[in-house]
Parts: sequence; C-alpha cells; structure tokens
Amino acid sequence: MKHLKTVLFLMVAFMLVLSACGGGAAATDAPAADDPAAATEAPASATEAPAAEKKVTTFIFTQEFDNLNPLYTNQWFTAITYQIWNCYAWTYDDKNAPVPVLVTELPSTENGGISDDGKTITFTLREDIVWSDGTPITSEDFVFTYNMYMDSANTVASQSPYDEMESVTAPDERTVVVTFKDVFAPWAATLWKGILPKHILQAEYDAAGSLNESSYNRTPEVGCGPFNFAEWEAGSFARFVANDNYWLGRPTIDEIFIRFVPDDASQIAALQSGEGDLGTFIAYSDIPALEEAGVLMFTAFSGYNEGLYVNLGEKGHPALKEQGVRQAIAYAIDRESLVNDLLLGRTGVAATYWDNTPFVDPSIAPYPYDPAKANELLDAAGWTDSNGDGTRDKDGVELILKYGTTTREIRKEIQAVFQQQLLEVGVGTELINAENFFDGYAEGGPAATGELDIFEYSTTANFPDPHTSEWGCDQIPTDDAPDGSNWQAVCDPELDALASLEATQVDAAARQETFYQISRLIFDQAYWIGIYWDPDIWAVNSRLTNVKISGATPFYNIQEWDIK
Amino acid sequence: MTRYIVRRLLQAIPLLLVISLILFVMMQNATDPLATMGGRTPTRPEDRARLTRQLGLDKPVYLQYIYWLIGNDWTKVDLDGDGVAETPGKRHGVLRGDFGTSIVQTGRPVTTVIWERLPNTLILMLTSEFVIVLGALLLGIYSALRQYSLFDNILTGLLFIAYSMPIFFVALSGMYIFSINFQRWGLPHLPTVGMFDPKIGKTTGQIILHMILPVFSIAFISFAAYSRYIRSTMLEVLGQDYIRTARSKGLPKREITFVHALKNASLPIVTIVGLDLPLLLGGAVVTERIFAWPGMGRLFLDGIDRGDTPVVMGILMLIAFAVVIFQILTDIVYAWLDPRIRFD
Repeated sequence: MKHLKTVLFLMVAFMLVLSACGGGAAATDAPAADDPAAATEAPASATEAPAAEKKVTTFIFTQEFDNLNPLYTNQWFTAITYQIWNCYAWTYDDKNAPVPVLVTELPSTENGGISDDGKTITFTLREDIVWSDGTPITSEDFVFTYNMYMDSANTVASQSPYDEMESVTAPDERTVVVTFKDVFAPWAATLWKGILPKHILQAEYDAAGSLNESSYNRTPEVGCGPFNFAEWEAGSFARFVANDNYWLGRPTIDEIFIRFVPDDASQIAALQSGEGDLGTFIAYSDIPALEEAGVLMFTAFSGYNEGLYVNLGEKGHPALKEQGVRQAIAYAIDRESLVNDLLLGRTGVAATYWDNTPFVDPSIAPYPYDPAKANELLDAAGWTDSNGDGTRDKDGVELILKYGTTTREIRKEIQAVFQQQLLEVGVGTELINAENFFDGYAEGGPAATGELDIFEYSTTANFPDPHTSEWGCDQIPTDDAPDGSNWQAVCDPELDALASLEATQVDAAARQETFYQISRLIFDQAYWIGIYWDPDIWAVNSRLTNVKISGATPFYNIQEWDIK
Repeated sequence: MTRYIVRRLLQAIPLLLVISLILFVMMQNATDPLATMGGRTPTRPEDRARLTRQLGLDKPVYLQYIYWLIGNDWTKVDLDGDGVAETPGKRHGVLRGDFGTSIVQTGRPVTTVIWERLPNTLILMLTSEFVIVLGALLLGIYSALRQYSLFDNILTGLLFIAYSMPIFFVALSGMYIFSINFQRWGLPHLPTVGMFDPKIGKTTGQIILHMILPVFSIAFISFAAYSRYIRSTMLEVLGQDYIRTARSKGLPKREITFVHALKNASLPIVTIVGLDLPLLLGGAVVTERIFAWPGMGRLFLDGIDRGDTPVVMGILMLIAFAVVIFQILTDIVYAWLDPRIRFD
C-alpha cells in the first residue's frame, strides 16, 4: 500500500511537471506590447478581471494553420484568417461584390485605374490605413510584399499571381502601380491577399537573408485586420483580440479563439455542446442534429459545382465522342431527386460550370430527368442492346463506362444512384474510387491520364473570378507537357478560342458575354454535366449576430459581428 | 552489467541507421509534400518545380538521405533555378543533432515541433498506461484467484466485447453520452474536445477534466489484453510448488498472492510493458484526433497526410531510439526481479 501511494504521488507529480513544461509557456507567445487583452493570458480565476463583460467567441477549424505568413501557405483555413488579423486590399461581400479595405476603390477602365492595354493597374490607397502598432500602411509595404514573394531565398508556397507581373512600383506613399507581362484578367480575385509590414520584416530579412525562419511566421506582432494576433498554442488554439486602431471601426467582439479540431464528428459535437460557435464544411447529414441544437446554417457559394467530366481523349470510350450520347447521360440521371433525397434539399442542381458565380448565364436550365429522351438519343446514335445483355452496344463495343471519382462518401453514394439510373437506359458503368484521383498526369492519376471515361468532382480556380484553364486545347496533358489541367481532353476549336479570349478581357461586361458563350457551348455539347451546387456550409451558433459569410472572403464583415 | 549496456548501445547504432534508411525511403515514396501547397486547388506546375528545387526534393533519394543524415553544409544548392549551385547549404544533419525543418511549418526546427507535442502525449499516454496496468492487475489477479467463477466468466465476456470495439466508436460514444447528452439532460458533463478550455487556461484541473474521456477510451479497449495476460501468468505461478509450500507453511493469502505469486508473475508482464512504453511516445493516433488532443499522434498523422518527411522521420527515430533504450531498461529490471539472471 505504501508503494502504491508512492507511485500515485510520483504519477501526479510527473503530470504536474509535464503540464508545466508542456507548452504553457509557448501559449504566451509574444503578444503585442499594447495588447489590450494581455491580462487574460494567464489562466483566468475567479478573482481576475470581469471576463463576463468581454465578448468572446470560439471558432472550430478542422485544420491547424501551417504558418501565419501569407508567403508560406495557401492553406484555406489560414487564408481566411487574414480577414481577421492581416488584410486583403479588398474583400468580397456575401453577394460577391468587392469591398475596398486598403484601397479607395477597385481600379477599372472607367476610373482610369486600368491602362488601355490592360497590362498596368494603378491602386490608390486610403489615407487612414495603419498597421496595428499605429505605423501607416504605405505603397512601400506592397512593393516589399511583391519582392518577398519573388525572392528565391524565400520558400514561398505559391508565387501566383506575382510571377505574372513585370514590376510593382510605388510612385508615392498612396499609389501602387502593378504592370503585368500580359493582360491578366483574374487580377481582382488573386492580388494582395495579405500584406507584409516592411517596417517590421525588412530588418529581419536583411539579417537572415530570407523570411523562412522569421518569428513573424507564427507570432505576427503587427497586422492590419480588425483583430490582432495574440497567441497560438500548437495543436490547441489561436487567439485574436480586437484592434483598437482598425480604420473601419473597432470590432464589437473583443476576443476570438480558434480551436483546432481535426475530426469532423468531434467538430459537430463541439458545436452541439456550445464549446464552439462556428464551424464549416458541415456534411449535409449533420445539419438536422445541429439545427435541433439551435445552430444556424449559412450557405456560402465559393464557385464549386459538382459535375461529370466526359473524357473525349483517345483512351475515352468511343461512344462519348458523340454529342447525343453525352446528352443522353444528362437526361438519364435524376439530379433533382438526388438533391432532395441525398442532399436533403439543401442545395440545387447545377446547370453550368459557373453556377452561383457572378458570371453565370441565368438562361441555362439543367437537363431534365427524361429517360425516354435518353433512350431516344442513344437509339438515334446507333447504340442498341443487340445481344440482350442489358447494356447497349455498337460495332461489337459494349457501352460500359469507367466512372471514377474520389473516395468521398457523398460521391460514392451518387455513383451508386447514377449507376442504377444509367443502367435503366442501357448504359453500364464500372465504378472506381481512387485514392490518387487528384494526382496529375506525371504521377499517374487516373483522371489525368485518361483512364476514366467519366469522372466526378468539383473545382474552382480563382473564385469569384471565373477563369479556368481546364478547357484549353494546350492544356491536355501529354508526356511532353504533363502539367495540363484539361484532363477531359476536350479540344473544341470554338471553345478554345473563347477560353483564350476571356483570359485577356479586362472589360467585365465583355468578359461576361464571353462566359455566356462558353457556358452555352459546354452545356449544349454536354462536355460537362452539372450535378449539384457544392457550397461551403457554415454552422453558426445563434448567439452570434450580424453574421454574413461570403464565399470568397468569409469573414469580410467580422468587425460587425456581435454576441447576444 | 555496464559492459552489457555499452555493448547493447553500440549494437543499436547500425540498427538505427538501417531503420532510418528504410523509413526515409518509404516516406519518399509514400507521400508528396507539395500536393497540398496549392490550398484548395492543385499546386501549380511552376510552384511545384520551384519548391522541388528549393526543398532539395529534386535530388536522388540516396542524396536526400545523406543530406538528412550528415547535412548539406559542405555543398552548395541552387535556389534561384539558374542551374548554378551558388548558395551554401545550411543543414547539419541528424548525426550532428539537426533533424531539419518542417516542410509544412516552413522553417521550424523538427525538434521544436516535436517538443511542443511530446509532453502533451506523455500526460495522456502515461496516465492511460497507469490506469490500464493498475486496472488490468486488479482484474487479472481477481480472475485468476476465482478461475471459472461467475465473476471470471462475466468479466471475460465483457473484456472481449470491449476489446472487439474500435476505439473511434468508444471515443465518439463516450463524447456523445457524457458530453452532449449529459449536458442536454442537465447533468454535470465532460468537455468534448481539446486538452483544456482556452478561455480558462492550461490548468491542472482543466487537463484532468479533459483527459477523462480520452483515457477512458484508451483504457476501455486495452484492459482485455493486459488482464488476460496477467490472469494466465498468475494461474501458472499459483500452480507452482513454492506457492503450495508457502500455503502449507500457513502464510497469509494476501502475502502469497502479492509477494510470492505476483513478483514471479511480473517478469512476462514487465516484457509487455517494456515494449509498450516507448510506443507511448507516438501517442494514440485515433484518440488524439477525435478528442483534438494536441499530441504526437496527431502530429504524426498530419505529417503523413501532408508528406512532412522531416517531422515524420523525427517522430519515428525518437520512437526507434526509445524502443532500444527501453529494451535495455527491461533487461535491467529482469535482473532486479529475478536474481538468477546475470548478463555478465
């Protein structure tokens, strides 16, 4: 018994030691000296400041940040926090309209901000913008940001779109001039997503030769968002406190905690229990339980539309080369029922690749579910079940398609539904779920290498900008050019010309007209068959008010959020 | 004994080298650290080519291993892609104590990344191991003393049911019952996720509160193996002549059980615990993920998912080293428990 007591004592003592050295010190990572909430860093106790008066909210993120420096990560969960503590030069509201933050207005050909040749864009900065330490934000910070992205000593995650530029200059403190090598249409959706403070980082860069190991990467001492970074405890949480110097007004909420909870089911549990006030990427099947717990659902369209790509390449099934067969597939699948039953009616049927973006052609409606029409089209194309085996054939070739997608559950379920419906019109399918679905041509990805006849997923490049390289003839991957993104190997000269045209158009109205033509062509040819809108679903505790969520920049109005 | 320990340590060096080589090659072939660099979209070919060069991933695997092992500060690297290697390498290599920097957490030393998580994992796993061993000892000894009794049969059945449950089921069920439903029913309830509530802070009370469900989950499915093992070794020892002699001498039952039987039965138990302890450093991958416990298991899983070879290699080598050390310690405990064992 004496030994047992000793062991228990040692055990408790060991735990206390581990608790003490287990990162507790790291939790107090360098808050700004003027951090108004620094007093809350030590564990709260009943005798401390009246915490109840503070407005504090907790978000749940299923991924922890890689790095807080915009140079070093494209991780979505990190990028959306730049609207909290760093800043975009402009954000987008919940209707996808741009909201100037650092600039006075968005440049356009009308206001003279875009040159006649479309290559030079001039930004005018607001007079009142300041870093959280009070230092003015100037055009030199923009030039410094550009230089850091392009410096080969920095292992930046992506140089896009800065490597499209010829130069970035600062003729005066309030003016930034960007000159592109060629016209770069998606500039508004890609530029200045996070700015670096030159007055803090220039000296660090000069001393170390790069920013790769800068303390700013994990503990940014200044920012330009409505909140200031306060601390980040690895694996647990990050904390942000209201920025009193924010020029668009001090936030109503005093403190935001972001907790890292990697498991989806655990995220739902934390939201149900009220330990988290906000979470995202909610599965449709979890919505009823959350709503029952009083959690509100927000749907933010971010350019993703789930659809079927049809492989027109050499390895693709010969039947798919025929427009009638492709359209027959569109008529044969009941997407309306799928949306209502499988997705609980929470979304809609996608008609075009650009549904729910500012460039959608509203005149295009999805193909209706019409098996009779599908049978008619297949018969007309000469695909009949001549041997009575249940699937159509022609010239000895059976109409059995390799239908591939990822291993995501909802996609597997859709595959099963479509397999049955396609078989009803005599189209057989072999279902494939590939772990390496997204691997490129060089890595042997099944979609990229043309191994699949039809494949399902959703993507977007630069939402809310509509640009994509997926439809260009020069983007079909080959041994010599394995990086192409046109995995469906569609090479339609008319489509190719339109895709090239939109990439060089800076006039929004003209570009929209081009996209209408592109959408109509893809729809009529059934090169891509929409399945459903795939928005980001956010769960928000009803105690949070004034919440608006944008698909492009979710926290664009976070300074206005309040707590009941 | 000293000579024995030194000999075992020397033998471990080539073993660790072989392990590191195998693991390094496996990691290189199993993961792609650049796959997720594009965020929600695939990494651009231009960025892939640049990062491959800057991170040294364009070098042959054997050369990457050599750089990992002995560093690259004796050579130059081409950072700007002009085909000329003009920038001196900065890595010192594992043999000089430099485990490199994380690819995902750009520029952060692997040792820092691991050290942030190691204490958290030790808190969780050592507590779990303690609960498991203590519980299993009680159950195992009790079962052995009442072999084939009703209690023994019921316990055996329950333990096998627990053993057959996947841990994610136990963990999520526990979370939904003791956190969400208890809260709904107005009862005192446990927190769902995390190591502590960040609004309150990392206090001992908070850690203990947040540890209850994870420890329960790990222990629940682990009692069976340990307790069955203890039961069988105890039964074997209880049938020995010296136990019969002790009984015939009229020694108290408690003394026979805990002094004579348990000490002799503990030799194989020590082997099992000795094998388990170093693996505790790796954390409980599933449990840490479900309960968002910021430990090594989550770090390891993230490292594998994201292809963060330096971090994964750091964790694996730490475990490999710990296995070697704990094996030696186990041998020493053998000698202490059984005076007949002499390594010299």
